[in-house]
Amino acid sequence: MAVVRQAGLVDVRVGCMIDVFSGSAHESDAKDFETRGIVFSARKPGA
Amino acid sequence: MTDTFEVAPVDVDRLRLEVQLKYREVATNPDKGFHFHVGRALAHMLDYPMDVVDTLPPQVVESFAGVNNPFTMGELRLGDAVLDIGSGAGFDSLLAGRMVGPLGHVTGVDMTPEMRAKARANAALLGLANVEFMDGLAERLPLSDASCDVVISNGVINLCPDKLAVYREIHRVLRPGGRVQIADVVVQKPLPEEAVADIDLWTG
Repeated sequence: MAVVRQAGLVDVRVGCMIDVFSGSAHESDAKDFETRGIVFSARKPGA
Repeated sequence: MTDTFEVAPVDVDRLRLEVQLKYREVATNPDKGFHFHVGRALAHMLDYPMDVVDTLPPQVVESFAGVNNPFTMGELRLGDAVLDIGSGAGFDSLLAGRMVGPLGHVTGVDMTPEMRAKARANAALLGLANVEFMDGLAERLPLSDASCDVVISNGVINLCPDKLAVYREIHRVLRPGGRVQIADVVVQKPLPEEAVADIDLWTG
């Protein structure tokens, strides 16, 4: 999330993390690197 | 201390071409079978409201290829101006178009022509006149400064080697006080350099 903050966005909140490649043909590579689908929000300061 | 972010060492032009080829297939032949999940089963896995998803025609859902659900991070408001980066066949954009209503507007940006064509057909199918789809790159968004209330994206920024450039563009197009709701892929183990340079791993 550091790259998000470096771009000037604030109030970063991270939501749930999902093992989105589970059961897919990409599962093996995804497991090797502990790949997950995440979701987050952040805000542009002001207003 | 200031963090610095290196651009991933990959041939950007070749990566974009490979991504376009992959997602052209997702648009035109969604039942082919990919190294990632697509369509209704994926929407169910990502906790989209299936009572809503199941009201959509199959062609609106079948090419969906996200990695999480950006709408879980906050509700869109009636009248919001929304940007969807890497909008694909329009699944998230069209859901957003319903949420913001006729006084709101959704712009989907995608670099793959077949995805944009399918997204436009899907918008017409749903009768959504407040959603448009444009050609563009996440690193050079075709929108003016401070023009968006909310930026969403789903499974796209991980395909961009220069993530700081993408987030700076997002910052540029957001209005002060505007927000992002982004789903993306993270890897929790360090990637070896040869993996970072392997375009097959980028595109799945």
